[in-house]
Amino acid sequence: MKRRLLAAIFLLGSLVAAPGADTTSDFKLKPFGRGSWQEVLRAHAGRPTLVHFWGATCGPCKVELPLLGKFMKEHAGIEVVTISADLVPDLPGATRAMLEKAGLRPAENWIFSDGFVERLRFEIDPTWQGDIPRTLLIERDGTITTIEGSAEIPVLEQWSTRQRAAPK
Amino acid sequence: MIRTLLATIALALWQTAALAQTNHQHVSGSACGEAVLRCASKVTPAFAPDGTLWLAWLAGGQVSVASSKDGGQTLSAPVAVTKLPLNLDTGPDARPKIAIDRNGGIAVAFAIFKDKAFNGQVFATRSADGGKSFAEPRPITSSSESQRFETIGVDADGSVFAAWLDKRNRIRAQQSGRKYEGAGLFFASSKDGGATYAEARLASDNTCECCRLGLAFAGPGRPVVVFRNIFEGGVRDHAVVSFADPATAGEVRRVSNDDWRIAACPHHGPSLSISAAGTYHVTWYSNGKARKGLFYARSQDEGRTFSEPLALGRPDRNPARPYVLAGPRGTVMVWKEFDGERTAVNVTISHDEGRSWTKPVAVATTKDTSDHPLLVSDGHKAYLSWMTKADGYRLVPVGDEP
Repeated sequence: MKRRLLAAIFLLGSLVAAPGADTTSDFKLKPFGRGSWQEVLRAHAGRPTLVHFWGATCGPCKVELPLLGKFMKEHAGIEVVTISADLVPDLPGATRAMLEKAGLRPAENWIFSDGFVERLRFEIDPTWQGDIPRTLLIERDGTITTIEGSAEIPVLEQWSTRQRAAPK
Repeated sequence: MIRTLLATIALALWQTAALAQTNHQHVSGSACGEAVLRCASKVTPAFAPDGTLWLAWLAGGQVSVASSKDGGQTLSAPVAVTKLPLNLDTGPDARPKIAIDRNGGIAVAFAIFKDKAFNGQVFATRSADGGKSFAEPRPITSSSESQRFETIGVDADGSVFAAWLDKRNRIRAQQSGRKYEGAGLFFASSKDGGATYAEARLASDNTCECCRLGLAFAGPGRPVVVFRNIFEGGVRDHAVVSFADPATAGEVRRVSNDDWRIAACPHHGPSLSISAAGTYHVTWYSNGKARKGLFYARSQDEGRTFSEPLALGRPDRNPARPYVLAGPRGTVMVWKEFDGERTAVNVTISHDEGRSWTKPVAVATTKDTSDHPLLVSDGHKAYLSWMTKADGYRLVPVGDEP
């Protein structure tokens, strides 16, 4: 019994060393602050863009993120932007690790970097209270469709198909 | 026993692991990085029977407690509940909890993130010497599956009732190949003032997993919990469960049919208060098909039926974080509104058990990030308790209007 206890203590010691560990330090997240939303819109103007708001501590986000990674890989014509809008501060390590694992490293990845999150959210959508995940589908003409909660991949695929057919 | 020991060792080790993170946490939510009140991102108030205000807060990766005899103007020297910085749960609806019994015993509970996957663990402790020191925090339950969003309250006999969201049944279901939505609402009681809790029991499966709970007592030994449930079809609307006694959960009753069908973390839980006349007052946020925004409803039959939801706040100002308190001079509600630059806390009062409400007025504002507005009573008056990054901690008397 004593040996098992010691082994368990050793295991716990190993586990607690993990949270600070970050093997993706050359993978940079763009800091999302005041004015960043307009920057995102300007940078992608005229091109179909999927913007995904998520967070490392959000259960449904963990399920959805790898599906989005796969979607991005299979839909090269859609620009993918992720914005970590989790309200637990300082999670760049976990955010990078989850994006990497989901295959979303090549996307344009941001993280909320201003503690005044009400203002950040207000700039994006004055009615958004912070629920995540949340996906915004932006068409060439700037029309935005908001999907609250986990997006269904067939819905994203249908939207993508329509963007291909739409006049450029 | 071994589980408890391991959890305690894990807590100690996590304290070390969290040190590095703590130095950066003030960048987001708080004014500074030390463990003092001025640097807190979350502050929870409670009045002792002798009129002393007690505050528990999260700052510098620690949970601290201090008291004030002058309404928060001056504070006693803070006492660290956790001795070293921890990876505390600082999610939007998380906060340390504090409850004080009639003899001045202080129960505290809080949650940490215990691993890389942000699984939570709830710890509890108590002070038996009037807040001079706290016992080493202990896990509230022996289960090692994720727990978050604890709430505690002192019952009439001095026992402490606790409820929290717990994922043990989700893990069991997954292991047997079954799908399980959300988390379970679990509860337990403490007969030693919040130092240790009896074995956890399930009140209800499949609740939303990321919203705070509301707790109040309908009478001695009759706790009531309001929570965001997951109803048929993934609808995350609110429900209330009234306990026949602290060990017996009643049936789950729906507060309102908002039809918010969403697979997401709203991070925006409800609030409950019960008046001396037995009226349940509930306020909540929804973004459902049937209604969107903040709402209030009351029940005069122990939650069997609720009044038609009453909308709160200006829809163009993103009303958020509602809180209700059936106080000594009427029932008070507060919530935040944001105009693009400034956050205001609005107050409305009812003197007829929630049938009618005064025109809302802003009682406090701030120009940077802020904690949720809370209400607390000293038995004579109700107060807004609000932590702000720019303007510090505020305790504002409310509810004096005729």
